[in-house]
Amino acid sequence: MPHTLVIGYGNALRGDDGAGYIAAELLRNRIQDPRVEILSEQQLLPELMEPISRAARVIFIDASVSGHAGKFSRIPLRPAPACSRFTHHATPETLLAGAQKLYGHTADATLYTIPGRFFEPGQALTPSVLRAVIELVATLEKELAADKRG
Amino acid sequence: MPRQTIVIDPVTRIEGHSKISLHLDEEGHVEEAYFHVTQFRGFEKFCEGRPFYEMPSLMARICGICPVSHLIASAKACDAILAVRIPEGAVRLRKVLNLAQILQSHALSFFYLSVPDLLLGMDSDPATRNVFGVMETNPAMARDGVRLRQFGQQIIEWLAGKRIHPAWVVPGGVSSPLTAENRDRILAGIPEALAIATRALDWFKTEIERFREEIRCFANFPTLFMGLVGDDGTLEHYSGKLRFLDAGGHVVADYADTSYPDYLAEIAHPWSYLKTSFYKPLGYPDGVYRVGPLARLNVIDGISTPRASQEWAEFRELDRGAVLSSFYYHYARLIEIVYALEKIEQLLHDSDALDSNVRAHASVNNSEGIGVSEAPRGTLMHHYKVDRDGLITWANLIIATGHNNAAMNRGVLQVARHFVHGNKLTEGMLNRVEAVIRCFDPCLSCSTHADGRLALEVELRSHQGELVDVCRTR
Repeated sequence: MPHTLVIGYGNALRGDDGAGYIAAELLRNRIQDPRVEILSEQQLLPELMEPISRAARVIFIDASVSGHAGKFSRIPLRPAPACSRFTHHATPETLLAGAQKLYGHTADATLYTIPGRFFEPGQALTPSVLRAVIELVATLEKELAADKRG
Repeated sequence: MPRQTIVIDPVTRIEGHSKISLHLDEEGHVEEAYFHVTQFRGFEKFCEGRPFYEMPSLMARICGICPVSHLIASAKACDAILAVRIPEGAVRLRKVLNLAQILQSHALSFFYLSVPDLLLGMDSDPATRNVFGVMETNPAMARDGVRLRQFGQQIIEWLAGKRIHPAWVVPGGVSSPLTAENRDRILAGIPEALAIATRALDWFKTEIERFREEIRCFANFPTLFMGLVGDDGTLEHYSGKLRFLDAGGHVVADYADTSYPDYLAEIAHPWSYLKTSFYKPLGYPDGVYRVGPLARLNVIDGISTPRASQEWAEFRELDRGAVLSSFYYHYARLIEIVYALEKIEQLLHDSDALDSNVRAHASVNNSEGIGVSEAPRGTLMHHYKVDRDGLITWANLIIATGHNNAAMNRGVLQVARHFVHGNKLTEGMLNRVEAVIRCFDPCLSCSTHADGRLALEVELRSHQGELVDVCRTR
């Protein structure tokens, strides 16, 4: 059955860097649809290529160091070949390309970025960033519910 | 020709960040070589004052690759502070978790970090000498690597709730028993994982002949070896006695793991934040030893699982005494993957695998505790002292990379002397200097992580600062 994979990632112990991770956690509490799989990850890893290859659509959620805190942006993604050192650092585009290469299929993908302000050690999000996370979660919840109806 | 220093910064495809410096004499011969760990790990200091029962979760944060290993060694140290004997059910589950950690970490080391060298060649184009190059050249092998690591990570998640930094192992045991559903899911995945591991091992054995030169000079010298062994001398990763073996294959001594201060000591070097440990009775440098998969397969008398035992017998025929070339760390790692899978299967087939008694409770009964286990890269030691309220007053961690530090440095020197000559650098020469470090699979993440994009540029300069040659990664 075609399904949507949501991957929120970031370090929840580094302030606003955890925005994507926390968004995925919040979304998981709201979505009860077996066709939606939600993963919260500290970082992107090569193992994600396999679930990506099984999904019809992938939504990545990540914090960003640039942009206006309190907003989020939506960026369509295309598979792109990897950088040369693929161990501690992967991008959504490299995972999409890897899924295509290894498993013969990759998903339509979108990246939502949430600009952060503070990336120092700590578990709390900056209030404006938290608002953006909540707004994004509500948006995705509606979008996924519409997909379900459609 | 003036004296020169070549700096490789950073060393790539290892866990964490470091650099290597090669010092050349007037004739362009490598005179000295150093492996520098350039970050500082402050965990021993900033955990002071924290309650001891927080330590497993705090210590797991040292590393994103081997958090489970720190979790287990730390919990064992805390068990000693509680002075409890933890339930058998908890021991069994901790063992499964530790083996899953070894499985996923070894898969990462072999398939992601070292197969690019082994499959594509040490002199191949560095722009494609990575896991994506492996995907292009041999997609089946890349899929195997992804699947094997995914399975190890999945076992950790099924047992401990999450793959990275789980908090399930606690002082006194584990926080919840294994469910029948998760046991069955793990068991169902074992045959596929074993088939992958066997394929990788068979492939590696056929490829060995291509690397005779590397085998000869990749940290191939006599040292001691150290590792845990079970009471019957078999391969053991959770508890047992610590055995020292000499290069001739003779057992030097078996010790209680918790008495390590009696036979191990550490020294610091001005050029690295990584301390070097050595075997006290022989002093430094005679007491240099190695730990990790190669050491573990050297120190044991046998393996308790059938396929791994068969592979071990073949492995031990590589040398008459101990297997000395560090190139064979890769080989040993693959045998340990087979062992981990077989052992997990054995442990989960135990009739008490779902035992609900998995935690002992007590207050502070000892002012000091030592926990020792085998992490993927070697013996890991956590040692804590607490006050009467259970607050940490002192902590010492000896990690595998520290045990191996002296051997890694000697290895870099040996490889550099063999491959690096004169005033012309090639990328392949320098890759071999890095590749010897990859054999040890050092986990410098236990120090810290760097952020941002890494780029490798090696400059060859005269002592007057004149640029003689440059190599850059693309």
